Amino acid sequence: MKRTWLVLLIVALMGSLIGLVSVQAQEENPLAVGVSDEYAGTELRLIFANHPWNNSIQRLLPQFEAVSGITLRVESYFEDQLSQRLQVGLTSGNTQADAFMFRPLQEGRLFADNGWLGDITSFATGDLEWNWADFQAAAANTVTFDEAVFGVPVVTEREMLYYRKDIFEENGLQPPATLEELQAIAAQLTNTSEEFYGVVIRGRRSPAVTQFSSFLYSFGGTWQNEDGTSALDSPEALAAYQYYGDLLRNYGPPGITNMSWPEALAVFQQGKAAMWLDADVFYANVIDPNQSVVADNVGFAPFPAGPAGANQYNVTSWALGMNAESENQEAAWEFIKWATSPAVVLELQKRGTPGARISVWELPEGLSGFPEDYAAVVQLQSQRGVGFDRPRVIRVGEARDIVGTPIVTSIEGGDVAAALAEAHEQFNTFLGSDGG
Amino acid sequence: MLRLGQRSLQTRNRFSIGLLFTLPSIVFVLLMIVYPIFYTFTLSFHEWSGSARRDPEYVGTSNYDTLLNNDPRFEDAVMRTFEFTFKAVAIELILGLAIALLINGEFLGRGLVRVLILLPMVATPVAISMAWLLMFEPTVGLFNEVLTSIGFAPRLWLGSQDEALGSLILVDIWQWTPMMVLLLLTGLTTLPEEPFEAARVDGANAGQRFFYLTLPLLFPTMVTAVLLRTIDALKTFDTIYTMTRGGPGYATETINIYGYVQSFEYFSLGKASSLLVIFFAIVLGISLVFTQIRKQWGIPYND
Amino acid sequence: MTNTTLQRPLNNTHPTTNQIRLRRFSWRQTAFVSARYLAILLVVILLIFPFVWMLLSSFKNQIDITTSDNLLSFTPTLRNYQNVFEQHNYLQYLLNSFIVAAVSTQLSLILGLPAAYGIARFRFGWLGIVLLTARIIPGITFLIPWYIVFGKIGLLGTYWALILSHMLVGLPFIVWIMIPFFESLPRELEEAALIDGSSVFKAFFHIALPLSVPGMIASGIISFIFSWNNFMFSLVLAGDDTRTLPIAIFNFISYSSVDWGGLMAAAVVITVPVLIITLFVQRYIVDGLTAGATKG
Repeated sequence: MKRTWLVLLIVALMGSLIGLVSVQAQEENPLAVGVSDEYAGTELRLIFANHPWNNSIQRLLPQFEAVSGITLRVESYFEDQLSQRLQVGLTSGNTQADAFMFRPLQEGRLFADNGWLGDITSFATGDLEWNWADFQAAAANTVTFDEAVFGVPVVTEREMLYYRKDIFEENGLQPPATLEELQAIAAQLTNTSEEFYGVVIRGRRSPAVTQFSSFLYSFGGTWQNEDGTSALDSPEALAAYQYYGDLLRNYGPPGITNMSWPEALAVFQQGKAAMWLDADVFYANVIDPNQSVVADNVGFAPFPAGPAGANQYNVTSWALGMNAESENQEAAWEFIKWATSPAVVLELQKRGTPGARISVWELPEGLSGFPEDYAAVVQLQSQRGVGFDRPRVIRVGEARDIVGTPIVTSIEGGDVAAALAEAHEQFNTFLGSDGG
Repeated sequence: MLRLGQRSLQTRNRFSIGLLFTLPSIVFVLLMIVYPIFYTFTLSFHEWSGSARRDPEYVGTSNYDTLLNNDPRFEDAVMRTFEFTFKAVAIELILGLAIALLINGEFLGRGLVRVLILLPMVATPVAISMAWLLMFEPTVGLFNEVLTSIGFAPRLWLGSQDEALGSLILVDIWQWTPMMVLLLLTGLTTLPEEPFEAARVDGANAGQRFFYLTLPLLFPTMVTAVLLRTIDALKTFDTIYTMTRGGPGYATETINIYGYVQSFEYFSLGKASSLLVIFFAIVLGISLVFTQIRKQWGIPYND
Repeated sequence: MTNTTLQRPLNNTHPTTNQIRLRRFSWRQTAFVSARYLAILLVVILLIFPFVWMLLSSFKNQIDITTSDNLLSFTPTLRNYQNVFEQHNYLQYLLNSFIVAAVSTQLSLILGLPAAYGIARFRFGWLGIVLLTARIIPGITFLIPWYIVFGKIGLLGTYWALILSHMLVGLPFIVWIMIPFFESLPRELEEAALIDGSSVFKAFFHIALPLSVPGMIASGIISFIFSWNNFMFSLVLAGDDTRTLPIAIFNFISYSSVDWGGLMAAAVVITVPVLIITLFVQRYIVDGLTAGATKG
């Protein structure tokens, strides 16, 4: 009893110290409903990726801090550096980070396998109000390994077509419904002497793999057969690799094999390309007039259909996980719970980063902040597609390099069939040793 | 122990005094250099992805075996590293010699030139790489603008497998030729005057003086300069990492970049460790060869 | 060469032939001199154009950079710099870089000077050799073992982790330069002091050290610059508050898309301090860089 009083007293004192603002926040702020102050005084270290989700949630963090009394220390890194930073820290068994963003399809299985990601099954399934069942099944699956939950999905992505409305209008064009049309339009709009290109998509070895995956699936190909062997020897795969390379070599900007998404996005923002295919989360960057000279003229369309239909990827690209060694697991869960609560997910979705909560997707206001065509595309594509955008293995980095190499060969106009045959062989060897 | 004479006392005394001077550094060296080397060497006989659940698994020399006999990517990386180093250092040596001869002696603005020549070396590689990245940019970069304005076809620079390594060599040359110039200038100022006087009296022309006097006398400095540059060029990391990450394809993947990829992208810490050990052996071997050359030819201003 | 030509006119025993020769010589001379200046000018341009381009681009907005018809004519803007300092907290990173570089250099000197003396005077050659291997070994070898060590002694994310790791570059360099420096000091000076009854340490502090100040400054400045420029060690060992400039610039590239102007402004901010140091102490830098090589 005495201790309870003491705690209450301290909490009350701290509350008055923080001032009326926080009290008001607690009462009026729907974004902080249900946040407990049980862990007040804890300092949580978070490692995030430089990602639109991070940019959006950064603005909401003070509200969480005010109500919970937890201090958040956030470090942000670009994807590659994030992965390296986490790996070095986790390898040495250190507790530098309590919670962090990770890519379930990239590092997820390895991190879980290595005992780096804390098993949060009891947290996730134990909190009925927060409601784990509200997460899309496909998304939940990507963070569940051997029946244990290792993270909470925060960002879902689908490949979409961004195009220049003004230029399409001038030329009397409709956004392409098929990959054939895509190529024809790209050909029509490319004007090399004016440095204007029909289409831009990532061409760097490893980053290109995710955007290429939609093409592969839409041509009827995939990465692995049911029996776990390489499926790169199919004629569909060859056709997809050939198409992707021809498209970018003929109608893409020069130097595309050194482009990941920041570079490709920049080309589109600068008004030098008629079409850009990439994840739908980059919406906000494209329509921001501070970054984009084409902000007012961007149209959105679903991924065009290939010979096997329109099978774009539809994946959980980022999740929040907990360090297995963290001493602040309860407080970390308090944060993860808040960051993935319906109110916050709704708020982030309004700001342009679609999450994985079914209930939010069903709310009309969930997509209210978006232009109609964007909302329609995202809505449509979230119902379909393939749940992975890269090979599903443990050591994904290596696999991406193997399957990405023929993309570069193809863009540079080399012998695609030979490069693919070689990749097929290497991929089989790799799959044999991967143990996944 | 048997001979506790004056001499051993003295050496022992000398040893303990020396120890006092060097102890802090020895602790530093043990912790920060010897331990990591030992750790890496041990790990190179294991396979490990950094798992907290499974200890590293002992695999004998299989990592070395894979790298040396069954990894074309490693083989390519080694050859590429040699190509990068050889071309960069050779051009730097020739250019460096030319520039050193050019700015040796008096001229207007000598002081300024000697300051400016330091700038590429001291500028932060990551920052300066970003500037080069912008200049190499195929559509908006300075180089293509200049090329097209004087009637040449634009190039792809870092965006092509054929041109990327050459472009990186270009950056290395810009960055490190000044180092050659600096070292060779120092060498030039320490050359003895007499042989040149004598040659002039004998009627030797400038070309003869250069080939029969300057070059041989400068040779030891050149060997030292080439050694230093070679070690650094073999290990080039910041600029490649910033500008291409080893791409496009694998066109600029050097041993160092491949080692980085193995440890931080593939999580193959064992294989990465054996790669680093081999890499270390290569650098060490090359350094020893150079040291031997230097010994053979003697160093005039150093004993 | 200038001397010989200057002397020729005085030597006028055969005025006519000499005048012809003089004219021919001075013409060749002028051609040679102007060719030389032209070549020097070319070298200077090649040396500085990346800096100039970086600086120019840092004052351009994104549109001026990416539309190619105005390479040189543009309205300069300070927005990139404003962005760098306001949105990205570069002041903090600048301070971090400075603290880490200054302290690691000082510590390297404190450890390195006695060590170099010990090696030069008391036959601790093996230590010198071990230190030299630090120069040969690829940097990524150290990262994971260091992380383990720093984790065990609780230094992760602090300035100390960065400082100690940067000493790996600074310390060997300082020792490397200072060994020949101490070796070149005449032994007699110290021995005289010893005979006078001073201790070895007094001899070191009062005689050896004061005589080697130029070497200390030269090697210290180089060590500072190496630390300032270090990328790989900081990338892994810095925390959010201790992040140094080279790491911060990497973050710039990916926040939204490639913001060239901001990137160049950030690059300028990193580079300027080193360039300023270089302008003021160039003689020591030359000494430092060349001493490491020629005295080895």
